[in-house]
Amino acid sequence: MTVMQQPGGMSGGRPQPSGLADVIDTILDKGLVLDAYVRVSLVGIELLTIDARVVIASVDTYLRFAEAVNRLDIGHDKETLPDLVGDMEEGGAKHKTKGALEAAGDKLREFAESQGGQGGERAGAGRRSRKNGDS
Amino acid sequence: MAARTRDRQDPGAGNKAVYVYGILPGDIEIEPGTTGVGDPPGEVRVVRNGDLAALVSDVDTDKPLGRPEDLYAHEELLDSSAADVPILPLRFGAVVSSDEAVTGELLGAHHDEFMAALQQLEGRAEYVVRGRYVEDAILREVLSEDQRTAQLRDQIRGADEEATRELRIQLGEILSDAVTAKREQDTRALGDAVADNVAASVVRPPTHDLDAMNIAFLVETSAADDLEETVAALADDWRDRIELRLIGPLAAYDFVDTANPAPDS
Repeated sequence: MTVMQQPGGMSGGRPQPSGLADVIDTILDKGLVLDAYVRVSLVGIELLTIDARVVIASVDTYLRFAEAVNRLDIGHDKETLPDLVGDMEEGGAKHKTKGALEAAGDKLREFAESQGGQGGERAGAGRRSRKNGDS
Repeated sequence: MAARTRDRQDPGAGNKAVYVYGILPGDIEIEPGTTGVGDPPGEVRVVRNGDLAALVSDVDTDKPLGRPEDLYAHEELLDSSAADVPILPLRFGAVVSSDEAVTGELLGAHHDEFMAALQQLEGRAEYVVRGRYVEDAILREVLSEDQRTAQLRDQIRGADEEATRELRIQLGEILSDAVTAKREQDTRALGDAVADNVAASVVRPPTHDLDAMNIAFLVETSAADDLEETVAALADDWRDRIELRLIGPLAAYDFVDTANPAPDS
């Protein structure tokens, strides 16, 4: 007989080590599909969720990569002043475009990414606390 | 610990329906006061049919689900359960009309299939390893490995943005392809490194341009410490180029198969 532990508790700040982005990736398109098992008693309910995003390389992707490489150059000694100014202007414009795209297309995920960043996640240490019960 | 299956009161009332989280062995209990999805969140109950059980809570069908709180509640309930018992997670948003639908149409009608699947998960849990490239580091890596990229960058630098659009796209495509190749290579490297620690693996599609890897592993509880050590060592090796995270134990979302998937709607 196993006793399941209550997850977190509402008041004390629930442990969220994996961040909302990870949660979205996991529970929205994985797990058993109820419709495959239940038809008669199935109840449709409105879902606010978005589909987990899959990366498809596009012109936008390419321009983003090119822009990132341009940003790399900033701070290099050899760079002349006009180059620097040019780079920075481009950077600003690109950021704006990117922001608008993300806001329109993927608000929830954007929120998720920002949440994920503050979840105390570390390389190799981002796991949930494990209960060493029955093994 | 003293929880008992409770009969739903007022089964026909209003717009109540039953949200289903997952399917487990019948001999489990849940701590009273555990809450699930909805606003206000419904109390999680155990509905049993012989040696199978389901975790459920009441929901109001007039209210949409999917707030971050709902998503967390769904996953946290399943993951905290999976740390102790085998559990078949349902995809977010599974709602049926009543407890009787859970015991009959769900658990009763698919008893053998669910029992077999639960046996497969006994003593195992899912772990996910996610890696994200450090942008500057990975781009410098590509620039040093592919002469074309450095040339294109020099052509573009300081030039008018519109005039160099095609060159930018060309450069970006080479970079994107190079990162994709690195992702495949590093995904394989991770899979090889942990092969002795895991029972099965599923490579998940990337969800970000800079994803280095996103792999789900089915892991014996007894091997979890070894997996953690292996991943920590890799994280150290890759410190400057990949941010690596190990997430788990989780319910086995990536290792449950729907025998007869419903068509997309």
